[in-house]
Amino acid sequence: MARASRTSARTRGRASSRRRAESVLVTGADTPIGERLIRELLDDSRVSHILAVTAGDPADFPLQEGDRLEVLKVDISRNRRLHDLLFGKARDLGTTSVIHTAMHHSAHARGSRVHALNVEATRALLGFAERHPTIRRIVVRSASEVYQVNNELPDLISEEHPLNMGGRAPQWVRDRVEADVTACTRMGLSSLDIVVLRMTEALAPGTGSQLFDWLESPVCLRPAGFDPMVNVLTIDDSVTALQKALHSDAQGVFNIPGADSLPLSAAIRAWGRVGVPLPGFLLAPAYRWRRRLTGTDFRYGMNRFRFHYSGVLDGTRAREVLGFVPSHPVEWPARSG
Amino acid sequence: MPFPPSVARNLASLMLPPEELERLQELHFYDAGHGFDPFGMHPAFVALGEGISSFLYNKYFRVKSYGAEVIPASGSAILAANHSGNIPIDGMMIWNDVVRHTNPPRVVRAVADNFVPTLPFVGTLFTRSGAVGGSRGNVRALLERGELLLIFPEGTPGILKPFAKRYQLQTFRVGHAELAIRYGCPVIPIGVVGAEEQLPQLTTSRRLGKWTGVGEVPIPAVPVPLPVRYHIHYGEPIPLHEQYSPDQADDPQVVKAAASQVRDAVGALLERGLALRKGVFT
Repeated sequence: MARASRTSARTRGRASSRRRAESVLVTGADTPIGERLIRELLDDSRVSHILAVTAGDPADFPLQEGDRLEVLKVDISRNRRLHDLLFGKARDLGTTSVIHTAMHHSAHARGSRVHALNVEATRALLGFAERHPTIRRIVVRSASEVYQVNNELPDLISEEHPLNMGGRAPQWVRDRVEADVTACTRMGLSSLDIVVLRMTEALAPGTGSQLFDWLESPVCLRPAGFDPMVNVLTIDDSVTALQKALHSDAQGVFNIPGADSLPLSAAIRAWGRVGVPLPGFLLAPAYRWRRRLTGTDFRYGMNRFRFHYSGVLDGTRAREVLGFVPSHPVEWPARSG
Repeated sequence: MPFPPSVARNLASLMLPPEELERLQELHFYDAGHGFDPFGMHPAFVALGEGISSFLYNKYFRVKSYGAEVIPASGSAILAANHSGNIPIDGMMIWNDVVRHTNPPRVVRAVADNFVPTLPFVGTLFTRSGAVGGSRGNVRALLERGELLLIFPEGTPGILKPFAKRYQLQTFRVGHAELAIRYGCPVIPIGVVGAEEQLPQLTTSRRLGKWTGVGEVPIPAVPVPLPVRYHIHYGEPIPLHEQYSPDQADDPQVVKAAASQVRDAVGALLERGLALRKGVFT
């Protein structure tokens, strides 16, 4: 009972504090999305201060530190360092919100160190933030890859769509599902406002987009006879969604689709590539060899189902609750006919 | 598809008269950004689909349509038809009939079995022409967008029934009635006469079905469908959404009674259609 009243009091406090300026901590600040987000937050009068957490040297960060921006290199996969960041610098600055975007991008990265960043850092961040004196809100960037895609499931993916919990899924997917579920399990029970944004992939370099890596090849191999619909996002729309989630009072899980829904073959044409349909069983070895020869990150096994069956995020909830509508289409190098 | 929409458009222009192509410009269609709807339908492929199926519609099965004016010009509706003939030509003929008898033209979204998307080329052609996989999420999304849905409530037992059981409606599944009540749209019953005789069946093979991944495969007595004449009869819309409230969509008795009402309407259309026709091929 005491806990309940404390929580409701905190909720009331939150409602009023929402109108005050936000002090925001951003993880993954040195990723393309993180960097663009910080640029936008600097132009946002509702944000008083930004604490940008990078994995690399702050001296390499392209934005100048100033009154409103501070850049720190912290290995958030280490609990002690994350703890000290939150209860040190973040507390001193009165950080009210966290936008968590840090994830390993490589589809081939695996092992406990990768898991520590992808999952354990999210878990620890939520745990520390719950007992933090000033943090009230966490926005977690999740991915559309957490959803299953197959012939028996809807083409239009709502937030209730089955998650990809398959034991055969690569660590890249399993980690994202686990981090997502870790955040979801605290919703409603935590004193924090938690928002999970399941974003479709941003078709841009450095974002971990498998489709981008696939389209970078001059010849794109795809399964013969299948041409599923895919949806892609831009960095601009990703950042808009994160900002909307930051300033909203809502919590929950939201799909964030992009403005471009098109078949795989149209994506190939629009990217100015040559598509070569092959029998499905040849694609996995072909892409394995391509990776060995060129060192690219695209992993066919991870994309096999979505290269056969459509899976487009339904953004109705994000539109209705967060007011997010994708409005920045991809600038395709070529247009499909 | 292995070719872009521009090629589909050019191919369609070889098969359809200019006035029909012009009419199809008015197609009721939700563009998700690149000319395709979120499920993969594209107007150029709809035109191509009409061009291809029109040969069967006009020349081979010489379809006669009765009462298509009941199809609403806008808003969602569920078209519920009897299913027969061992291969789903009945679905193709209804699809073509709806496109040509609605103005502005509308595409009825056929709800296909889950194995259809697994079929190379065929699954994609179906998708481009408006068919969707039979998951609940797909049909919900389409009804909420005000689309027409084509459902065969008998399912596979209907299309695979032996020749001796022609025009005997099989058990109706209740999903269509539940959807109509829940999402507030009418059900338009359809009786298809002719398809039941198009491909007499010798037997069915589960082994072949397992091997091909489609469940059960019919073994027909003739190598190609017979040139029977199709008669498509549309009945008056059944306003299930006015008879029941949305919260009754969870009541099994209500849904069963509503499905039974649709089944009776389809049965009556079949009886009328059989009485009207002069012969299987005429």
